[in-house]
Amino acid sequence: MTTLALQRAEAPASASFGDQPFRTATGGLIDRNRPRDFTFDGRRLTGCHGDTLASALLANGVRLVGRSFKYHRPRGILSAGSEEPNALVELRSGARREPNTRATMAELYEGLEATSQNRWPSLAVDVLSVNALLSPVFAAGFYYKTFMWPASLWEKLYEPMIRRAAGLGRAADAPDPDTYDHAHAHCDVLVIGGGPAGLSAALAAGRSGARVILVDEDFATGGRLLAERREIGGTSGAEWAARALAELESLPEVRILPRTTLFGVYDHGAYGAVERVSDHLAVPAAYAPRQRLWRIVARRAVLAAGAIERPHVFGGNDRPGVMLAGAVRTYLNRYGVLPGRRLAVFTSSDDGWRTAADILAAGGGLAAVIDTRTTVPPALRRMAEAAGARVVTGGYVAGTKGHLGLSAIQVVDGYNSTETIPCDGLAMANGWNPIVHLDSHLSRRPVWNEAIHAFVPGTLPSGMQAAGAAAGRFTLAECLETGARIGAEAATDCGFTASAAAAPQTDPETVDHTPLWRVPKPKGKAFVDFQNDVAASDVELAHREGFRAVELLKRYTTLGMATDQGKTSNLAGLSIMAELTGKDIPSVGTTVFRPPFTPVAIGAFAGHHRGKDFRATRHVPSHAWAEENGAVFVETGLWLRPAYFPRAGETDWLDTVVREVETVRARVGICDVSTLGKIDIQGRDALAFIERVCANPFATLAIGSARYAVLLREDGLIMDDGTIARMGETHYVMTASTANAARVMQHLEFCRQWLWPELDVQLASVSEQWAQYAVAGPRARDTLRRIIDPGFDLSNEAFPFLACTDVTVGGGIPARLFRISFSGELAYELAVPAAYGDAAWRAIMQAGLPYGITAYGSEALSVMRIEKGHAAGPEINGLTTARDIGLDGMLATNKDYIGRLMKERPALVDPNRPVLVGFRPVDPSARLRAGAHFLSLDAAPSLEADEGVMTSVAYSPILKSWIGIGLIRRGPERHGERVRAYDPVRGADTEVEICSPVFVDAKEEKPRV
Amino acid sequence: MRIRCPHCGERDNGEFSYLGDAAPVRPEGLDASAAAMHDYVYLRDNPAGTIRELWYHAAGCRSWLVVTRDTRTHAIESVEPARDVARARRSGEAA
Amino acid sequence: MSEAMTSLWQPRGAWEGVARIGRSGADAGPAGVRLTLREGFGLATLIVAEGKEADLQTALADRFGPSLPEAGTAILKGETGLVWSAPGQWLAVAPSPRDLRDLPETLRGIASVTEQSDSRALVRISGPQARAMLAKGVAIDLHPRAFGPGRVAVTSIAHIGVQFWQRDAGPTYDLTVARSFAGSLWRWLEHAAAEFGYEVAASTKDLIAIG
Repeated sequence: MTTLALQRAEAPASASFGDQPFRTATGGLIDRNRPRDFTFDGRRLTGCHGDTLASALLANGVRLVGRSFKYHRPRGILSAGSEEPNALVELRSGARREPNTRATMAELYEGLEATSQNRWPSLAVDVLSVNALLSPVFAAGFYYKTFMWPASLWEKLYEPMIRRAAGLGRAADAPDPDTYDHAHAHCDVLVIGGGPAGLSAALAAGRSGARVILVDEDFATGGRLLAERREIGGTSGAEWAARALAELESLPEVRILPRTTLFGVYDHGAYGAVERVSDHLAVPAAYAPRQRLWRIVARRAVLAAGAIERPHVFGGNDRPGVMLAGAVRTYLNRYGVLPGRRLAVFTSSDDGWRTAADILAAGGGLAAVIDTRTTVPPALRRMAEAAGARVVTGGYVAGTKGHLGLSAIQVVDGYNSTETIPCDGLAMANGWNPIVHLDSHLSRRPVWNEAIHAFVPGTLPSGMQAAGAAAGRFTLAECLETGARIGAEAATDCGFTASAAAAPQTDPETVDHTPLWRVPKPKGKAFVDFQNDVAASDVELAHREGFRAVELLKRYTTLGMATDQGKTSNLAGLSIMAELTGKDIPSVGTTVFRPPFTPVAIGAFAGHHRGKDFRATRHVPSHAWAEENGAVFVETGLWLRPAYFPRAGETDWLDTVVREVETVRARVGICDVSTLGKIDIQGRDALAFIERVCANPFATLAIGSARYAVLLREDGLIMDDGTIARMGETHYVMTASTANAARVMQHLEFCRQWLWPELDVQLASVSEQWAQYAVAGPRARDTLRRIIDPGFDLSNEAFPFLACTDVTVGGGIPARLFRISFSGELAYELAVPAAYGDAAWRAIMQAGLPYGITAYGSEALSVMRIEKGHAAGPEINGLTTARDIGLDGMLATNKDYIGRLMKERPALVDPNRPVLVGFRPVDPSARLRAGAHFLSLDAAPSLEADEGVMTSVAYSPILKSWIGIGLIRRGPERHGERVRAYDPVRGADTEVEICSPVFVDAKEEKPRV
Repeated sequence: MRIRCPHCGERDNGEFSYLGDAAPVRPEGLDASAAAMHDYVYLRDNPAGTIRELWYHAAGCRSWLVVTRDTRTHAIESVEPARDVARARRSGEAA
Repeated sequence: MSEAMTSLWQPRGAWEGVARIGRSGADAGPAGVRLTLREGFGLATLIVAEGKEADLQTALADRFGPSLPEAGTAILKGETGLVWSAPGQWLAVAPSPRDLRDLPETLRGIASVTEQSDSRALVRISGPQARAMLAKGVAIDLHPRAFGPGRVAVTSIAHIGVQFWQRDAGPTYDLTVARSFAGSLWRWLEHAAAEFGYEVAASTKDLIAIG
């Protein structure tokens, strides 16, 4: 190289634009009349509307934008698209701060704030770059080797240290102020990618009247047409793209989604995409979401996602200023930015020469062209040499020089002699890889195409076809032709009459290339995976240590495991392993690509479901009254139930619950039990159906009567319990527990539709139709007499325990009345139409006022059922049989029902099984805890000594002590025996006495009065 | 995944819940043996290939469905109302 | 019963305390979505008895038209009609619960009738962005080629079960949700409609007590 050549290369350095020293004076698709101020690491800079953050930084001469993951090496901008591994920044600040944003995808807006990551104290001076000196320690497998011993230091020291040293950006530490939306879309033809192939496909399909959705991750549609100096039918590629877009927008059944990344392909034509609705604005417009997650269902899809260029693997190939050649052309042609004053080109492909031509056309200095191939068309060589560039053929770039950015390249020529060529930018052209990620999402593998030295889609997912560069058809003419043809085919498959218009003429091009997978003798670290700092030497290490299978290589070196999923690195890694193992690349194989194609914010997946909308909340009919009266609520599944109703002067929940229980036991209380599942069972065979699904008999149940019901699973364990009331000849109402309501309905439908389709039975859920209130206590009848319309006889004789009937309330409102009791008191359940639920509650509270009525919640309900020894969720927990909870006496013996045979399995009838009994603390002041395990008094705690578990406890206001029910071996035979309730989790070891589980009104007299 | 409910049309698989193999037939009646019931409750084939399985359209028409699916590809060959399948089986048994 | 007691027995609308009447969300231009809260309507589940489909059709012909709606469809005349819900199962819709009160007797032995007037909250969705808003929540193709007037879907929005039917080409939809979920569904509606701007209106018909 001569000094003269260099000076000549500098000579045409373009007149710059405004205060952006690397912006060309003219050209590009940016709007020079709309300057955009932004900051990078606090430095105020100006770009243009239409820039990305990356192009604006380059326009300002900023090449150093970040530090690498492990070694904290200076990194710049490699690409101009979503494959970017290096230029990751924190965007915005405060609650909107977003880490690891690719500067190449961030659209510039007025006031944009960007901060470099993974450096301290500053980007230029990063003390953690000493990691680079320790790079032998940080080589492949370093986690597994280096921090093995002592193990106790791992959590306290090593992991935090590594996390601090090796990491990327910082997430915001305040709640995200933006909203995220979800939407569904359906179409005949989904076109993935808005380049020449995608636009052609969308036009061919759209013109037929098919419903077309075109998604494009870029904010400007056109793909590489915006980045290349190409002609289609006599106009520029960008102009052709603009016209195609305008036509598509005029078609009523075509929807264009720019700024939208199709990130996942799922079974049966389902696709996931994320639309960056507002990311190009400082703050979303009022009421507009920041991003929208699309679920798209398409009958056909055209994959026109394009291709990703391959870097060369040589020493110092990560130095800021080293860039993909296609990206250099993008910055030159689309953004009007010179990525350097003196650019060199390292090529194994004709693309490199096109890059050299574009550099010269934009007024850039061309320092050198190094082609790894020995023969180069003479015209190209003359073009470069005429511009004063050094031309090397059959050589390569071995290394780079520069402190925080490229200042020179070390070139080895065909005769193995080395020279140093000053330059501040290097374009790498090593061929392209079709984007095979999306067509691989359904566990499909791409196949190797030797002609283009790249993997191309193999068997595509059903309904999907690839076009253009995504199919390995790299020339513009092929993109236009395949796009139009496949777009037309897709529409035809959907029943439309479509044909591909003749592809317009394009200017000639050649795309020959002979890739060089890595240079023979690199000078310095030659990176394969920039984002995860994996070098060629790490692949060699993995090979030496036997991690040769592609999936092992990936996990041992972390190659391809960063947020870019190895978009620029996978093939380089595979090709090196192929070379080391003496195999060809297809025999080495590829790893599996999985969604998402690029990272998706968790907020986008969550959408509306955050905070209290994380899941739905169901309100009981008395909710408004409960809220007005200061109820404390508890979540029970989706339901928000009143747990208790504190009154003035009550200092804690126990005060309140004790008062509620005492009031019910002495006077009267009302509790909302609408959360129970309620199922209308009708039809000629309603009884036969009930007999088969319930384990206890119902043949004798008279009209106007209700009975406890127990349902088993087919494996013999209890599914649920409830009541069944016979309202008419062929009309029954079944209740199911709150937690199991949906499951019981599903089970009954299974029985009706699948097991016994011959039965005439109709099932309708009426859970939401009826507000249902338990009115319990000695004055329950007196209270309800003031509620039920006159003329109905509520006396014990006329309406005894377990009676049920239709009544009216409030002057003719239809209602249902059941005399059933969960509390053990004289009790009724009154069901009214849900719209009258609020009114009925208020009316009952007023009617009960003279008797001292209280509202009671789920806590008091639970205390009273434990005092009565009634099994509930903690006992009917999917592990217990009817016998375990003392119900075996009521099971039918002369009918077939679900679970009949399997409940007799030897393990389920083992006399040593824990069975339900009651427990009282020997010391009446001791507190009991559910979950405690029972041990004999002298047993050392062990699994073998475990005799059972305390399932439910309560403080009984009647007994003035804690009581419990639980399951213990041979429980009913052991009344009076003392055991320990051992609860090491809460440090309790309490002596308890086994007793009957019925603590109150053992003779069951109270509900019958 | 998308499942074409014969009543509601094609829906997302999130609307359905899965039960499993549709082949086992419940041994009915008081004469059924414990061994037959054991097989019905516990024994399932796990084919790599086509299987007929029960799904429930929980968020739709609450129909139980018999879905014929290839476990290797998720390709769905047919979706039938379980009630129709059960009735046909019953009439087959009767014949 | 005293006057005071009688006056207590007023129905509470399913949207009461949930929805706020008036304009909300984006405020530029006319509202994209109109949400009309419906109250006081009558609903009943009809499930045909085994083999009685023809009898049911005959019994309902005078009131709802000559044929039962097929799967996924509704036959509506004003505020009265039959809406398919499941195989052999329909929702009878009427301006008031009173209009359906005779059904159990009329259909005795032909179909099970279950009163459901209070079981659901119903909102009528219309406006130029009604379809776009609904498409945010339902994974069903609402395009006119796929789903037009008279079509019904039982599905879910934001994991909440819903049933909706399209009334006209406007499009106008009637959307129903289980009453206990009304508050949560409303929050989704507000979220989905916010960017379009929405107007919430009370039903033109006053609450009608079941009397």
